[in-house]
Amino acid sequence: MALSRELYQVLEDIVGPENISDDPALLDSYRYPLTHTAIHLGPFYRKYTPRGAAVLLPGSTEEVQAIVKVCNKHMIKFKASSTFWSAMGYPSYDNTIQLDMRRMDKILEIDEKNMFAVIEPYAIGAVLQAEAMKKGLNCHIHGSGSSCSLLASATSFVGPGPDGLFLGLANENMLGIEWVMPNGEVVRTGSLGSGLGWFCGEGPGPGIRSIIRGFQGAMGSMGVFTKIAIKLHPWPGPSQLPVEGIPPAYRTTLPDNFRVYTLAFKTWQGWSDGCHMIWDAGIGYIAHRQFNMFGRDLKGAMIKILTDPTKTLSDMEELLKDPKVQKMTEAMQRDFQIVLAGMTQRDIEWQDKALDKILAETGGYKVEEMNEPEIRDWALLYLIRLGHKNLNLVYGGGYDGCFGMVGPPDFGASHIEEVSDFKREWEKKGAIVTAGGDCTMGGIGFMGGGGLTMWENFTHFDPADRESTEGTYEFFDASYKYGVKHSLGYSLERLMSFARGADGMATSDEEKERWLAGAPQAFMFQYQRKIKELLDPNDLGDQTYRWLKPPKKKKGQDRF
Amino acid sequence: MALEDYRSDMERCSQCSYCKWIPLDHIKSWRFAKGCPSIAYNNFNSYSARGRFAVALSLLNGESGYTERVRDIVFKCVTCGSCDVSDKICRYNLEPLEMMRELRFTLVEDGQVLPQHMRIIEHLREEDNMMLEPRASRGDWAEGLDVKHIISEPAEVLFYAGCRFSYDKALWPAIRGAVAILKKAGVDIGIMGRDESCCGVRAYDMGFKDEFTRFAQNAIEAWREAGVKTVVTSCADGFHAFMRLSPRLGEHFEVLHTVQYLDRLIKEGTIRFSKSVPMRVTYHDPCRLGRGGEPYVPWEGKEEKLKNQIVIYVPRKPRYNGAWGIYDPPREILKSIPGIELVEMERIREYSWCCGAGGGVREAYPEFSNWTATERVEEAKAIGAEAMVTACGWCERNFLDAIDAASEKMAVFDIIDLVQRAI
Repeated sequence: MALSRELYQVLEDIVGPENISDDPALLDSYRYPLTHTAIHLGPFYRKYTPRGAAVLLPGSTEEVQAIVKVCNKHMIKFKASSTFWSAMGYPSYDNTIQLDMRRMDKILEIDEKNMFAVIEPYAIGAVLQAEAMKKGLNCHIHGSGSSCSLLASATSFVGPGPDGLFLGLANENMLGIEWVMPNGEVVRTGSLGSGLGWFCGEGPGPGIRSIIRGFQGAMGSMGVFTKIAIKLHPWPGPSQLPVEGIPPAYRTTLPDNFRVYTLAFKTWQGWSDGCHMIWDAGIGYIAHRQFNMFGRDLKGAMIKILTDPTKTLSDMEELLKDPKVQKMTEAMQRDFQIVLAGMTQRDIEWQDKALDKILAETGGYKVEEMNEPEIRDWALLYLIRLGHKNLNLVYGGGYDGCFGMVGPPDFGASHIEEVSDFKREWEKKGAIVTAGGDCTMGGIGFMGGGGLTMWENFTHFDPADRESTEGTYEFFDASYKYGVKHSLGYSLERLMSFARGADGMATSDEEKERWLAGAPQAFMFQYQRKIKELLDPNDLGDQTYRWLKPPKKKKGQDRF
Repeated sequence: MALEDYRSDMERCSQCSYCKWIPLDHIKSWRFAKGCPSIAYNNFNSYSARGRFAVALSLLNGESGYTERVRDIVFKCVTCGSCDVSDKICRYNLEPLEMMRELRFTLVEDGQVLPQHMRIIEHLREEDNMMLEPRASRGDWAEGLDVKHIISEPAEVLFYAGCRFSYDKALWPAIRGAVAILKKAGVDIGIMGRDESCCGVRAYDMGFKDEFTRFAQNAIEAWREAGVKTVVTSCADGFHAFMRLSPRLGEHFEVLHTVQYLDRLIKEGTIRFSKSVPMRVTYHDPCRLGRGGEPYVPWEGKEEKLKNQIVIYVPRKPRYNGAWGIYDPPREILKSIPGIELVEMERIREYSWCCGAGGGVREAYPEFSNWTATERVEEAKAIGAEAMVTACGWCERNFLDAIDAASEKMAVFDIIDLVQRAI
């Protein structure tokens, strides 16, 4: 249903005629194809998230506030998104007003001394990193890559990434926030709320970060975040990444205080012990199981393709027969990548020695083939800038992750062969890429200082192929059930199922209850319901802020 | 090909938005990070490659229809190919530029044309040029040049002037100079003068595929009859047409841009510089010479699957990633001129920012075209360049107009202008 002309005019008066549209074709460029989201949805084919009532491009906090107030006055749902990387950035109700935050893209300040930056929603990772490096600083880039909004990740999702070991999670890095609440009021949090600047997220001043974010972030459904400050970290490299090469084989050569290695281990126990010892030693700038996302059996060939601009996927079959590639792939069975960055020459020398000692004690080694200069320098750039992130879609156009196995490294390492066997059997059915069962990718210490690993088992499929998409859904259904049955913990397969159904629309309250009531800490979602009712009294946010209705009180009970 | 043939591209687009930026690895600043002028100027998603995939799919599925906004989305794109380069960093199997062109062909077939384009196309059909000028004056630029006319006097090398250079008097020194230099270097060179026609590539980019085919076939026939072996041009559009598009019709000539020929002559020692040209300059890569300057590789095959769902092409499909175009010869020439200090802008080579003149945008959306050029001038100013040097008449004209409109002081040269000064 289109907006009335009167209401359209009211909104147009706020943003200007060039920044609003309700043209059907234009609105369809703000819908997400559900064939790409086997992880969340299904069954599906050629279905999309709902078409919005209008798209608006606000240019300032004042414009955002005015839009939100109009939405409250006319009881219209709204959702703000910045870089629209995944389905959760899109509305799950018909006739929602979509705010595209693209015009608010500035880096307002880089405070070199206090090591933070103040950014608007559309400032992406690559841009802030480039500017921060000029001042000897760096920012955390979350796993969806440097094309994505830093603000969105920090305020609205979890934001793990390869550099988490040294630079922390996205939400760990969030300081002061400027927030247009769901009712249209503007709140400034932390030190900003006391007029003391952006340096602190929790005070002196209102420290309501957890209230705003809720469990795993507001995902675009609790008002609009218009500015945040995020923490920056030391960057001991050049002020500009020297990039060479022919695409996609771009590479960088950094000074002698940098190292990039692919570490591999003879056993999973050694792998796990290696992680613990790296954390204990306090070494490493980036640590990630990155290239295994191409598959245990295929990653050697893929690395050769990606580092040689004359090659394409059509060369894979030939490369898989190459004994050198086979040797490399075999050597990388139980691997991860690590970047060391020495703050001084002595520091890098010490880190190198510490790493060698760890490898000696855990049966680990550096994969020789990954040290060839062209591959090494490509891997270094890949991990620092995370500008090739969407290679996870290179095979057929679609990917999603199953399992997850978040926890200490021993947990994932003790189950990896079992879940790989399970996936390998499904690969034989034909719907997903046969890659060796193990396509797990994830951080080696994805929160600051280490402590956690994640094993997102990538599943590659073709979203333009009905059998592939439906088969992928069946696989995810099976892997979800397998994870529950075998107590594999936090699962990625149904991450968003509480919010959106197979038709791309919001789930019913009953369905949502079914999903969330069984959570280990369901009480938290009941508390979030109270927050939601208080801050979004007209229920205009999207479904993705998770809440449960409180249980009925028992007689004599004054609170649940 | 038909628009339907790109359905799988549309469905496989994962909406990562790489198409909006220069390759992320190359981003050096907030100011000059953007790659696609269309989304940078218009902001709505639909003005990016990912958005146009979605719009095209919506049209194909009958979920929306033609509107003024749809025409705006489809035609307000400079077809510079920046999206194509950035997309292919991660997505080997997507062809956003080819899809964009096919979308335009479809709109034109369905009568969804822009009046500004139609006026030019009608003139092209009558007078064989895109400049709204009479055919009879096409050869005026060569008046007084002692050069063969290949229709009456065979020559091994044809110098193709192109529409912009032929009719834009301010740019005549560049092509007159090119002919004179090549002739002096002993090249057996000829021109077609008033018998030369448009290459058709700008019509092609406006969505008029048949016009391109007609002009390309006429040119091929005329060159064959004249015994031409090599075509040299200073026009980047013409270079793209003859190098990349015309070979699809089945005839192959050696095609060189002037910068390639001059670079060769300088390296051989045939051209020597005797004067210094003290100037801090930057070089602007024309899209049609750089990204669009990769040679055509014939391919006919089909899509297959490997390892169940890996999409491959059999036989192996050529991959245009933008980086194999003409980037080094102009830089080599500039470096060889005494006194010239070449400084690079942030966005260069395959990730260069467009001048804004292409895709029918200069003709239909002058404000957008001018903004795009101004952005490039700002980039040149940011590195302290005194002059912008390019190798395309359309780029040069767009920069000159933008500089004039903004009362800027930046100088603009064709690379030939500087070569002439140094000889």
